Amino acid sequence: MALPRDDHGITVGAVEERFTPDALPPKPPLPLSVVPPRPPLPPDVEIPPVPPLPASAVVDHPITDDPITDDPITDDPITDDPITDDPTTDEPDLADVPVSGEPVADESDVDAVVAEESAPEAIVEPVPEPAGTALALRGVVKQFGDTRAVDGIDLTIPTGAFYGIVGPNGAGKTTTLSMIAGLLTPDRGSIRVGGHDARTESARVKRMLGVLPDRLRTFDRLTGRQLLYYYGVLRGLKPVVVETRIVDLARAFDLTDSLGRPVSDYSAGMTKKVMLAGAMIHSPRVLVLDEPFEAVDPVSSDVILEILTDYVSHGGTVVLSSHSIGLIERVCTQVAVLVGGQVLAEGDVDEVRGELSLEQRFFQLAGGLVDVEGVEWLHTFSD
Amino acid sequence: MVAHLLRLRLDLLVGSIRGGGRANAVIGLVLLVVVTTVTCAGVLSLADAEPERAQALIILGGSVLVLGCMLGPIVLGIADPLDPRRFGVFGLSPRALTPALALAGLISIPVLALLALLVCVVIVWHAHGVALPVAILAAALGLITCVLSARCSHVVGTLVFRPRHSRELSGVFVLILLIVVVPAGVFVASLQWRDAVPEPLAGLVTALAFTPWGAAWTLPAAVATGSGWFVGAIAVLTAGLLWAAWTVLVAMATTRTERPTHAGEHAGLGWFALLPGTPAGAIAARSLVYGLRDRRYLVNLVIVPVAAALVAVPLLVAGVPAEFVALLPVPIVALFLGWLPHNDVAYDSTAVWMHIAGGVRGVADRVGRLAPILLVGIPLLAIVVPVSAALHGDWSVTPALVGIAASLFLSALGLSSIASAVAPYAVARPGDSPFQQPQRHGSSGVLAQGLVMVGAIVVSLPVLLLSWQSITGEAVLLSSALSLSALWTGLGTGVGVLIVGVIVGGWAFNRRGDRIMEFAETA
Repeated sequence: MALPRDDHGITVGAVEERFTPDALPPKPPLPLSVVPPRPPLPPDVEIPPVPPLPASAVVDHPITDDPITDDPITDDPITDDPITDDPTTDEPDLADVPVSGEPVADESDVDAVVAEESAPEAIVEPVPEPAGTALALRGVVKQFGDTRAVDGIDLTIPTGAFYGIVGPNGAGKTTTLSMIAGLLTPDRGSIRVGGHDARTESARVKRMLGVLPDRLRTFDRLTGRQLLYYYGVLRGLKPVVVETRIVDLARAFDLTDSLGRPVSDYSAGMTKKVMLAGAMIHSPRVLVLDEPFEAVDPVSSDVILEILTDYVSHGGTVVLSSHSIGLIERVCTQVAVLVGGQVLAEGDVDEVRGELSLEQRFFQLAGGLVDVEGVEWLHTFSD
Repeated sequence: MVAHLLRLRLDLLVGSIRGGGRANAVIGLVLLVVVTTVTCAGVLSLADAEPERAQALIILGGSVLVLGCMLGPIVLGIADPLDPRRFGVFGLSPRALTPALALAGLISIPVLALLALLVCVVIVWHAHGVALPVAILAAALGLITCVLSARCSHVVGTLVFRPRHSRELSGVFVLILLIVVVPAGVFVASLQWRDAVPEPLAGLVTALAFTPWGAAWTLPAAVATGSGWFVGAIAVLTAGLLWAAWTVLVAMATTRTERPTHAGEHAGLGWFALLPGTPAGAIAARSLVYGLRDRRYLVNLVIVPVAAALVAVPLLVAGVPAEFVALLPVPIVALFLGWLPHNDVAYDSTAVWMHIAGGVRGVADRVGRLAPILLVGIPLLAIVVPVSAALHGDWSVTPALVGIAASLFLSALGLSSIASAVAPYAVARPGDSPFQQPQRHGSSGVLAQGLVMVGAIVVSLPVLLLSWQSITGEAVLLSSALSLSALWTGLGTGVGVLIVGVIVGGWAFNRRGDRIMEFAETA
């Protein structure tokens, strides 16, 4: 029992109070049930098949009805956070996982990403990991030849966060996400997912992650259906479960008509969608998405956003990178600005942007517009 | 009702021929006519042959025919136009339906060809002095056996295999058939037919005579020698048993409904539906899809016969005895086949991230990747080994050849499993021309290629030595014992190295996941 019992009591009390039926506004039926609610189960336990969605739901949902703006997400991490429950309930082997001694008394505090309340730590970790941390990077360094792609990054991503990583080209976003996904190993530093070290417990950590890489190939000679099946079975799901989930995911992502075609015939946006569906098929705790909205049409990206928002509201954690600062500002609860392999700002979106818009703040941090010189010949035309 | 069903069958037949534009059907028909004509001519030529030889060939051919009727419909997965299941909804009594459907089964193009063949057989028997009624009775029994076998096989195929039947499954069946038929065919063809029935075949024919497959074809000869009642009883009993099976199958097919979920399940998954739904099975299915569709793999496969020819021709020119050169393709083909997947990971390019991010166990990855090469390699070796032995001229070398093939093929596969995880090197990217040489950073792969080849040869040295002694040995008894010990040594070496290679390769794949990823991104 790592959490004090009374703290637990408070949390539960808070939950009950929040979820009296009249306190909840009536929720419209969303097409979002693709990702089943995160049960506090060990990852290899089979999750019951997802209920089918109304076929029309994807279309009916108006874009203006954006669930993100009225941000219910910030409240959630405490209530149905599975990872906080893990050490106390069914994973006794995690008793040594560092959990901050501070009780999570006030809900609003949990969202403060850099909740730097220090507590005496295990020997391994110099910096404490607050309770409910889905993902923690400490001093992560990755070097390719002479270039330091990632230069000592610290990130703390709480459970239930919708976390955006922005940065100019070559800032190390993809490298960072690849390291989180377990595709690259950091030269220095540590990555912990749900309290498990990615290096020593890599199999367990990989099961908790759903990954959408950018610019990596996929097995695109398979048809969409085969590819999704491949995703699911590689993750150890039973074929029957995989096949029902393929149907649900295809409906949610509007891929049903394309499942029989080879993925190599798909457009870039459809490939993205099928790979995103594949990343979710084993219903992971954390989704690591590299540029999930690149080349995806507005309607589809809105659908994806809704799916992700629902996923987050049920305790999932999303980490995504994007070039589109507007989108990150609109969607994410927290953001990190990565420039030159270093984190220049991190925290709640409001915190990071301060008085400015996030874009202005980004330009400020990233060095802003440089006066373009030396291409004056472009001002006269050669024909 | 019988008349009704016969009319229906006839209409279906005419319709299928008149359907128009069915190029495949026309080609098939022409082929069938040609094959039937040739076979009939062959059978008729037996009228002048010695009685034993004619008898042996008819028994052998007839048995193969019955076997073909039993397996053909299942293997090929052809839809039966008069599938008993289709009559389930009419509420007909099975007692009337069973004989009617069996009779209607007589009206089909293959049965017409069979009839032509049987007429020729009756003529041959009659030419050899068999009484016409006996000959006709025997032919009728043969016909009934064939038709009922085929009908039963059809129903079994639809009841058991249809839910999972796919092009892939048919392909696997055909491959299995190839593994059995080609060596047998080569063996039979290489025998000395000139004087009399070859020794090994005579035994087989006598054995077949008393089995359900051969009994009907043996009947005329048996009547002459006095064992007619016994053989006739077997033939009649066979037909009776087939009839009983047919009755049961029709009753089952008309009264049972299939589980409706079964049809939709696995739809559109191809190889994935056929192989087990585990990571290793899925990787095997994916490798098969790629191996059979991606030109880069196919080009690699072309190396194999080229290499065999490249080694054999100069030796022949240099005057090495042909019977030794004939044996060379076996080790060369086996070695190259086993060596092919030594860089398999590189062919995935960056898509290998799915295995790494998915936390796939290394052993599952290694095992799955071997599927296509096993599927291609084993049938290929099943062809090369008997052909080599036949060209060599002495079948007693076969066990040693199988030993060599197993040892080289399997141990090269094992070493390849290690090499592809430890030392992948850049290859043409997916979609690029297979002949395009990629930019290579660092390892050019020569080391990995060489080590796999040399390693497989080194571990196979004991087998090669044993085989050499058995082939060149003078004493017949000793050399056949050596040949057998080469077989077991070879199988043991191959399987052992394969298992070790898969385990070590799997361990390396797990350990080096990030480095494989870095390699894939830079290659």
